[in-house]
Amino acid sequence: MRSMESWFPAQKVVGYGVAAIAAVLVLYPVYFLLQAAFDVGDPQVRPPTAYGADNFGSLLQYPQIMLNTLTVSLAATVMALAFGSLMAWILTRTDVPGRRLFEQLMAVPYYLTPLLGALAWSLLGQPESGFINGIWRALGGQSHLIDINTPYGIAWVMALFEGSVAFVMIAALMKSMDPSFEEASQVIGASRIRTIMRITLPLAAPGVLGAAIFVFAEMLGSFAVALVLGLPTRYYVITTAIYQMIQQYPPKIQVAAAMGASLFAVMWAMLYAYRRVVMSGSYVTITGKAFRPRLLDVGRLRYVLLGICLLYLFVAVVLPLATLFFASLQKIAVIFPTAENFTLDNFRTAMTMNAVRSALSNSLLLAFGTATIGIVLMGLLAWLIYRSQLPGSGMIEYIVMFPQAVPRLVFAFGLMWAWVVFPIPIYATLWLLLIAYLTVFLPLGVRTIAGVILQIDKSLEECAQMCGASWTFRIRTVTIPLLRPGLVAAWLLLFIASVRELGASILLMGPHSKVITPAIVESWFGTSSELTAALALIQTLVVALAILVLVAVTRRISAQPVD
Amino acid sequence: MVERTHGKFTRREVLKGGTAVIALPSLGIAAPSVLAQGVSRSPTKVLDFMTNADVAKAEQEGQLVFYCHENEAGTAGIMEGFNKDFPKIKTSYVRAQTGALYNKILSERAAGRFDVDVIQLSDIAPAFDFRRKGGYEHYVSPESSAYKKDHLSEPNGYFFWTGVDPAGIAYNSEKVAASDAPKGWKDILDPRWKGKISCKISASGLQFVQWYTLRKIYGDSFWKEFAKLQPRAFDSRVQLFDRLSKGDDMITAIGEYPAYILFKSRGAKVEFVAPPDGLVATPLVVGAVNRAPHPEASKLFVDWAMSKRGQVWYQSNPNLYYGSVRTDAPAMPTGVKLSDFKLLYPSDWDEYASQSAAFLKEWNSMLGL
Repeated sequence: MRSMESWFPAQKVVGYGVAAIAAVLVLYPVYFLLQAAFDVGDPQVRPPTAYGADNFGSLLQYPQIMLNTLTVSLAATVMALAFGSLMAWILTRTDVPGRRLFEQLMAVPYYLTPLLGALAWSLLGQPESGFINGIWRALGGQSHLIDINTPYGIAWVMALFEGSVAFVMIAALMKSMDPSFEEASQVIGASRIRTIMRITLPLAAPGVLGAAIFVFAEMLGSFAVALVLGLPTRYYVITTAIYQMIQQYPPKIQVAAAMGASLFAVMWAMLYAYRRVVMSGSYVTITGKAFRPRLLDVGRLRYVLLGICLLYLFVAVVLPLATLFFASLQKIAVIFPTAENFTLDNFRTAMTMNAVRSALSNSLLLAFGTATIGIVLMGLLAWLIYRSQLPGSGMIEYIVMFPQAVPRLVFAFGLMWAWVVFPIPIYATLWLLLIAYLTVFLPLGVRTIAGVILQIDKSLEECAQMCGASWTFRIRTVTIPLLRPGLVAAWLLLFIASVRELGASILLMGPHSKVITPAIVESWFGTSSELTAALALIQTLVVALAILVLVAVTRRISAQPVD
Repeated sequence: MVERTHGKFTRREVLKGGTAVIALPSLGIAAPSVLAQGVSRSPTKVLDFMTNADVAKAEQEGQLVFYCHENEAGTAGIMEGFNKDFPKIKTSYVRAQTGALYNKILSERAAGRFDVDVIQLSDIAPAFDFRRKGGYEHYVSPESSAYKKDHLSEPNGYFFWTGVDPAGIAYNSEKVAASDAPKGWKDILDPRWKGKISCKISASGLQFVQWYTLRKIYGDSFWKEFAKLQPRAFDSRVQLFDRLSKGDDMITAIGEYPAYILFKSRGAKVEFVAPPDGLVATPLVVGAVNRAPHPEASKLFVDWAMSKRGQVWYQSNPNLYYGSVRTDAPAMPTGVKLSDFKLLYPSDWDEYASQSAAFLKEWNSMLGL
């Protein structure tokens, strides 16, 4: 009884502490966002001079944009989940050759950034100037072979470059699954396919569903791909429409805020459905029984799976990078350049640009800070939501998912208004960006870690508790070691997500707190696609080196067996 | 001269009330009543221009914070030019499109944050608004004597035209024969350009000017006919010329001369057409912001930007290539002076500013927004 009393206050203090931090991070800017959504006064005057619901009424003027958004987001989500699940299963559960290398390469499309993916595929797939279509015509083809500016072309690129998160989330979950279930299935005579369908997929269901909700929200908020590939055919989605609204003078920020706020309802409905699913069944795969992750012997199928891995990485990594490299060596990127069109000036210019120096180091610093602080904060939040029995802990999940519901372009206004009036002078500094990243990536971190937490049998913690372990001791010696692979994956995911963050950074960067991805977008707007390609390649190289070092360190940690 | 506070100034009023004030600066003598509002010391010569700023104090302040609508490379270019001449003043900047940038500075000021020294906007309408809201510092530069009154705020001292961005029509010379190329503005309405013509989005100040001026000349139906061509709209002149040079679009209805120079120098197969009715043009306006954290540096920057030295920099930087309205401005890198072009501006800037909502509605609706 005494031990119960000794750990309970610690649990309460930590639980309510992180809940309070999350609530402040999220609800403080959300308040300002909602205030703007109901602001019907002069858009240039803050605080608002009049309130009403007219901004929500005006959303009815955009049915085509809503339809476009749903079409592209659904198509991209389906594609991303298909790619993500298949690749996660191949690379974590089968004995496909070179899986460690492939697994690391899977993160490349994610940190390449959707903008660069879109830029590369735009160079490849424009009907007129696209490299693939140029080759097609040179071989005697008529018109064009592919058109990347169609809704499904946009969804394809979104799935490749925004959807990697599905792979990371599902892979983290699959890594933590006890293979004895699958082995038992095979021992009693089930085929490999039947084992996958009856054991693997049902066990992965909550993680996949969580990833589906998350990816769909990510696609709803996807901006760069629709901007690059949608505008040439006047195919607008919510984010590109919002972008137009907030850029023009006078900006329609209130309508954009209403558009963003209305997405809260969509997100809550999806989250409610998710919670109903995960709470109604048992998805525990990590129990008191010790296991080492073992791989499924897929026989000759491994070469087919290897082919799938190679094909995926070719279209998502090799082809885009090669395209960008080819473009970056030219004055004006064409598929059949003349000798005088080649130049190294783009790299020369890129190396002298401020973006490559201070912005890149700022980005790496912020990414390290966000991932390190985030993993503690988000890990505790995930534990609070799914493991603690503190009153109101379920509500925290709804709060945490707020930032995912709103395109970051819009959420950034809430953050700006919130922190510009904050008495501590963090506005326009890297601290503001750190707070912004911790806020906007709360859903990503919590969702990733939650997928793993759900698989840990509560009895392990309860056992430690019954043995007299305090709450902090139990977390340190039982929960965290079990979560280690998932936490390492989440750390890397947060690191990469921070480096490539665009929507919030654009507005929140101060004169002394520039970061890299907006600088690359700026380059695309203002210089040339060739120079932008060079910048992107430099960014990719530096971030790749940083990740390689981090992976080497984290591999040591995650390689330690869970006993 | 009585200072108007509601910002309603017509060209006629300006001409009627300002003759004496125009005459004095042109002789190198600033009107004392105007100068007295913002100047407490005699102009001094620094490098090859005149300034009322205390240069030593500006260097002691050591920083300049610049808010600018221009793209990253262009904004960095402006700062680089100033920093070359004043290496002791560290420059930093924030850039965004005019709408978002203006909202940002207003939000900051409403919250009591005054971090900005100088602001440059691509549209005169928000500059009027900022002036009305008392956002600009009143500072009359000694260099303003080299500018016509039309290119200065009224009264002088709030903002000035740091450059002009003129636009005609541009086409891809591999896709369009010179004989088939448009010759004048009405030629862009030819149905053969359907789906092959580009323009800018409604965030563009220049696009607003083009909509306004051509509507005045050719009537309301001009843009309705244009809408039938299903034009593709983009953010920046670079994007327009990038697509044009690769043949993704055949012509652009708003071919900015600075972008034409840039792409031509890279060997792009693009040609520029200056319609006989004139090039549409928009001013880029610069002004010192009041309650600036580095007030002397901000004055020094305004003087530098107004000076021949600064204007040459603006005109010759590849990411800017703004045409200078300074009366003694040299030619642009192409050998052409801005004054060689016939330029189309709104004749009444207040009336122009009042049409903002109508423009946004028609333009966004045309683009399917």
